[in-house]
Amino acid sequence: MSRTNIEDEETFEPIYAAQEDFNPNDTVSSFLNTAYDPARLHPLAGLGGGGGLDYLNLEDDAGTLPGAHGGSSILPSRGWSDDLTYGTGLTYITGLTLGGAYGFFEGLRSSPSPAFKIRLNTVLNGMTRRGPFIGNSAGVLALMYNGINGGVGRARGHYDPLNSVLAGGLTGAIFKSTAGLRAAGSAGGVCAVAAGIWAYGKEALNL
Amino acid sequence: MPRSSDHSRDPCPYVIFSDLGASFAMGAVGGGVWYGIKGAKNSPRGERFPGALASLKARAPVLGGNFAVWGGLFSTFDCGMKGLRQKEDPWNSIASGFLTSGVLAARSGPKVALTSAALGGVFLAVIEGLGIAISRLVADQNRPMSPQLPEIAPPASH
Repeated sequence: MSRTNIEDEETFEPIYAAQEDFNPNDTVSSFLNTAYDPARLHPLAGLGGGGGLDYLNLEDDAGTLPGAHGGSSILPSRGWSDDLTYGTGLTYITGLTLGGAYGFFEGLRSSPSPAFKIRLNTVLNGMTRRGPFIGNSAGVLALMYNGINGGVGRARGHYDPLNSVLAGGLTGAIFKSTAGLRAAGSAGGVCAVAAGIWAYGKEALNL
Repeated sequence: MPRSSDHSRDPCPYVIFSDLGASFAMGAVGGGVWYGIKGAKNSPRGERFPGALASLKARAPVLGGNFAVWGGLFSTFDCGMKGLRQKEDPWNSIASGFLTSGVLAARSGPKVALTSAALGGVFLAVIEGLGIAISRLVADQNRPMSPQLPEIAPPASH
């Protein structure tokens, strides 16, 4: 049966292997061992020169990882959710540690008796009194700041250190809003300055 | 059959901070809503909003902090178990829940700590069990079907 040529026929007939294609001298190795050239398979094959691509040599410095909202940064982040979770987490744990250290030394100093168990108890009490208070407050501030920063950035359409200043100001104002207008204003100012230092400092360090 | 590793979470040391932050956010926002409503309900009629504000200002950060400590400790133990056992399993989570609850109750004495630990382990086992059940149910819908082969005429022999 002759082989049908696809271009000649109007209707497609299945092509079966013809009897003349079988060569009884063929072995499996004759078609499996042909040298294959990956460059013919894909344009990006053979990347990395003779030694192949060594993934450990790729540039992975912190300065080239994408920071928040694009541009490389020491603190890489993939977007607002990374900012929120990592920022809040780091701030909370920093606040907790600093407050715990403060409470530790306070407990050591003010212990009523040199006995070990009593001192341990006083120190632990001091740590659990100061640590969580500062940690919680720091965490709430970070949460509000990152939330407002993300919201302002999305509303404005682009990200600026100016967003951070605005977010810092609003955070401080809201945080102290129940203590009166003056307290809210001064807290807003302090937080705006702090946020500005943070944002412009990050930008300055990466240039 | 080993479960495929979860690629939606960041690698292990860094994910602890992410979990800390996420737990804090959940606790603080949830606590804000809960204590805001509770404070409003428990205040006299003209004072509902200040009552809600005062209640949530006092309690919501504390709840956030508690959630954060729980989540952070859990994640730390989870990463520790993964490193120790070199496997990714539901058992890691169950053991982490056990250890976390035990450590957080450690100051109340060994018996209370053990009971807390057991409750934490059971809680995590329930969550993991539900997770496995749900993933089995969902995976059942994606079972591969063998394709219907078309009728092929056998090659004419000659």
